[in-house]
Amino acid sequence: MLKTVYNQTSDMPLSIIIFTTMLTILGLISLFSISMDQFDEVGITTFTKQLFFLIPAFVGFITILFIPKYMIHKYIYFAYSLMLMLILTPFLFETIAGTHRWINFGLPVSIQPSEFAKLIVVVALARYLSDHNLQMKRFMTILFPILIALIPAVIVLQQPDLGTAIILLTPILPMLYWVGARPFHLFILVAPLLSIATAFHTTSFTLWAIVMGSIIYLTQPRLFFGVMLYFGNIFLGLLSPFLWNSLRPYQQKRILTLFNPELDPLGAAYQTIQSKVAIGSGGFFGKGLGSGTQTHLKFLPVQESDFIVSVIGEEFGFITIAIMLIVFLIFMLKIVKLAFLAKERFPGLVLIGIATIFMAHVFVNTAMSTGMIPVKGLPLPFISAGGSFLLSCFIMIGLIMKMGDESIE
Amino acid sequence: MLKSKNLVPKSRFLVANSVIIIVFSILLIRFFHIQVYGHNEYKIRADNNRIRAIPTAAPRGLILDRYGQILVDNYPTYILTGLPNEMDNENWNFSVISACTAIDTTILIDNFDRYFRGRFIPSRITRDLTFEQLSCIEEHKHELTGINYIQFPERSFPSGVNMSHVLGYVKEIDRSLLRNMVDFEQYDVGDLIGWQGIEKQYENQLRGTKGLAFLQVDAFGREVGTVKDINDIKPIPGKNVFTTIDLSLQKTLEKAMSSYKGIALVTDPATGQILAFVSSPDFSPDIFTGNTTLRQWREIVSDPTKPLLNRITNGLYPPGSTLKMITAIALLEGLTIEQNEELECAGIYQFGDRVFKCWKISGHGKINLDQAITQSCNIFFYQAVQRISLNRFINLCRSFGFGSKTGIDLPNELAGLLPTRDYMNRRYTSRGWSRGHLLNLALGQGDLLTTPIQLAVYINKIATKGNTFIPHFLLSKVPEPTNSINLNEQTWIYIQDYLLHAVTEKNGTGSAADPKINGTNVYGKTGTAQNPHGDDHAWFVGYAKNGNQMASTIILVENGGGGGKIAAPIARIAFEHLFNKIIENRLAVK
Repeated sequence: MLKTVYNQTSDMPLSIIIFTTMLTILGLISLFSISMDQFDEVGITTFTKQLFFLIPAFVGFITILFIPKYMIHKYIYFAYSLMLMLILTPFLFETIAGTHRWINFGLPVSIQPSEFAKLIVVVALARYLSDHNLQMKRFMTILFPILIALIPAVIVLQQPDLGTAIILLTPILPMLYWVGARPFHLFILVAPLLSIATAFHTTSFTLWAIVMGSIIYLTQPRLFFGVMLYFGNIFLGLLSPFLWNSLRPYQQKRILTLFNPELDPLGAAYQTIQSKVAIGSGGFFGKGLGSGTQTHLKFLPVQESDFIVSVIGEEFGFITIAIMLIVFLIFMLKIVKLAFLAKERFPGLVLIGIATIFMAHVFVNTAMSTGMIPVKGLPLPFISAGGSFLLSCFIMIGLIMKMGDESIE
Repeated sequence: MLKSKNLVPKSRFLVANSVIIIVFSILLIRFFHIQVYGHNEYKIRADNNRIRAIPTAAPRGLILDRYGQILVDNYPTYILTGLPNEMDNENWNFSVISACTAIDTTILIDNFDRYFRGRFIPSRITRDLTFEQLSCIEEHKHELTGINYIQFPERSFPSGVNMSHVLGYVKEIDRSLLRNMVDFEQYDVGDLIGWQGIEKQYENQLRGTKGLAFLQVDAFGREVGTVKDINDIKPIPGKNVFTTIDLSLQKTLEKAMSSYKGIALVTDPATGQILAFVSSPDFSPDIFTGNTTLRQWREIVSDPTKPLLNRITNGLYPPGSTLKMITAIALLEGLTIEQNEELECAGIYQFGDRVFKCWKISGHGKINLDQAITQSCNIFFYQAVQRISLNRFINLCRSFGFGSKTGIDLPNELAGLLPTRDYMNRRYTSRGWSRGHLLNLALGQGDLLTTPIQLAVYINKIATKGNTFIPHFLLSKVPEPTNSINLNEQTWIYIQDYLLHAVTEKNGTGSAADPKINGTNVYGKTGTAQNPHGDDHAWFVGYAKNGNQMASTIILVENGGGGGKIAAPIARIAFEHLFNKIIENRLAVK
């Protein structure tokens, strides 16, 4: 028995477990610090909750290890349709905190099914892209995989949860790139978004028009297609201010707050400032466990999830932040390397997709906490409090162990 | 399945690696920039310039009468708070406050614990501070740590009317309440929420949006000023609610009812608007604000006259003779009676082994339908009701709104009780339903119970020939029609005529309701309902009309005796008040 377990696991990239453990412990220490001045009749704090959530997370991780690769490959479309139903379920329940994000079973914990949508979309995309010997040189063949990610993203956006919706879409480009899509085709995908985004600022739009023109000229597509692409985008850009003006004011406001929560009257500017003050005042070595004034005087908002990095920055300093970022960096590089070494296309794609999801979380979370991008609530993997996310992270670690095979190294 | 080869050019692998390394480098540089390069600046801000966001309460909207006179107002009170983390010596703090406010320290500590939400959130110590108390605390400020006071708008009732059942009250949200609320994210401990009446019904309009004040506090938590780069978010006051109440009429009727238990209700049949709403005895609505002692509170709760009961929407009464019009309509519609067909009233009527009596012991002699309503003859109806079926009677009652909620815009209205054949068989198992019960029902006795607001809908339907609206308090509300009734035009005219005769004719039972104003016709029916709780209830239901101005009135005096003697004169007061004013206004316009 033990022997078979050893044989199965010996090929797995065990270093991944070391990184995961380090990050999880860092998360627990920060949550312990936050929990020092929490109180409740039964002694439940963010810290004890997170400890408890580690149990299902670990079970999820172990379970994945025992599922053969071909089973994952075989049943992923079934899991995908199940996932679509699950993310629609919260719409049947009353809203929690104004959104349809959670399923409440009447238990003290609610489940957020969209967390699991991320990894299922990645595996489903991986299967589609590996099953079909796609002619990646052709543009039309990359449209179907986009749908796989777009459908759940649109549903999640209705909940409304822009952060998760964006995360659901991010794996598309890297995975297409990995299977050999032409960069120019990926550019065609991104171009309309940029045309709309820059349309509201004359200088940016002019610059974008020049850049786009140069790219199209340099890649030299067929004349008719190139001209259509260029003017189609310009036209879309010119049209969008009119479309925008035709919206009703409350619709405009809803969209604006979605992308820029600083318009929210509760003051996201306040959150960013407090977060930066917390991080900055931590200095090189930090103020020490439990001594962060910003953290403990509750100046720091949502400190246990979205702004956990501010707690780490304040109490443990730049040195810890740097170590954390370097651990994340090596972790990412390791996954990409495993993806490169994979013998088959399916596991390689799963690994690239998971790397993208982790990467997007780390980037959005830390960039937001340091005021580089607008406030967009996304948790930091392994570190932020939250049961559903912890479980999905550990399942993804299980997938990495499963798909990554070091034996050929 | 897994057969497709993983053929990735080395270049793409390197591109992926470079992207990752570049992103992490940017992040590292950013953190270095903030934490090492900008450390001194941020350290100063963290130490000296902590920003605290304090929610500022938004005043609730006012509740006004139809002419804009204030029924419910706000007045500023002061609340004393303590920040647990900064109160170095709690006992000393409390003893100083106790000395200033003359409130016992145990009460102060009780409050403090009750509102406690965390070491860094101010907890309320006491409220309704007077100016003297405030200035005393201000004098001793240097001895106190972590103690602050904030302004808090509270409800006041300047109009002098009670109307407590209509206005309702606001309640402070405590921890256990917040835990059980559906829309908890919009509220916080210590906020006010409408808990009864209009305050509850129109909570969403009345409640404002809280603001945020950003204050700089120093390392000791003392406020040192406002924050430069963030603007305070101003609270948005709640919207005012204009009610349909006519304050002066309400006052007049509260005075008229002050010595009785019962109700007085005035509505406009043409719109469903409620002009006056008196449920007596009632109580001043400010017992829910301010410092009502436990003893005062217990007195109200245990008062045998039940002042807390909203008798108009939640009191269940036998309607007595006021229900006779149902039988009359059933007879006229079914063509089972001739206009001038006379039945004999000998003062006493035997049905099976039971003996029914008329209120007039000598009997009315030979009497037709018109006079039977005018003089409220019982025996006529005992005989006539036998021509219709129970189902017909009950269905007609139902279409006039009995047995279901009227939909008035107050919370917790009751539906009354309309006994069906099934209900009667269940209730009286041994004998089941018998025609004797129908005789009782025709006179509004027996199992049928109504709320006064249902009677208002009933009389409004008669006044408008079935085209009335759901009674409501919100002036801006578009009236919702009640369910429609299809009766012959002639039936409506007959019934209205009978009601007119009951008030205008010399021997009409309702003659005391007529204010005798030129051009104003009063229609009405009295009732004297027997009940198991003592003397008869006195009823008057009716309406008055002058040109196209209409108003209907329901009066109930519990255990008051005869409806014509007790209830009708109160209705006259209402009509007098309204129609004199209408005529005055008309003259003024001319």
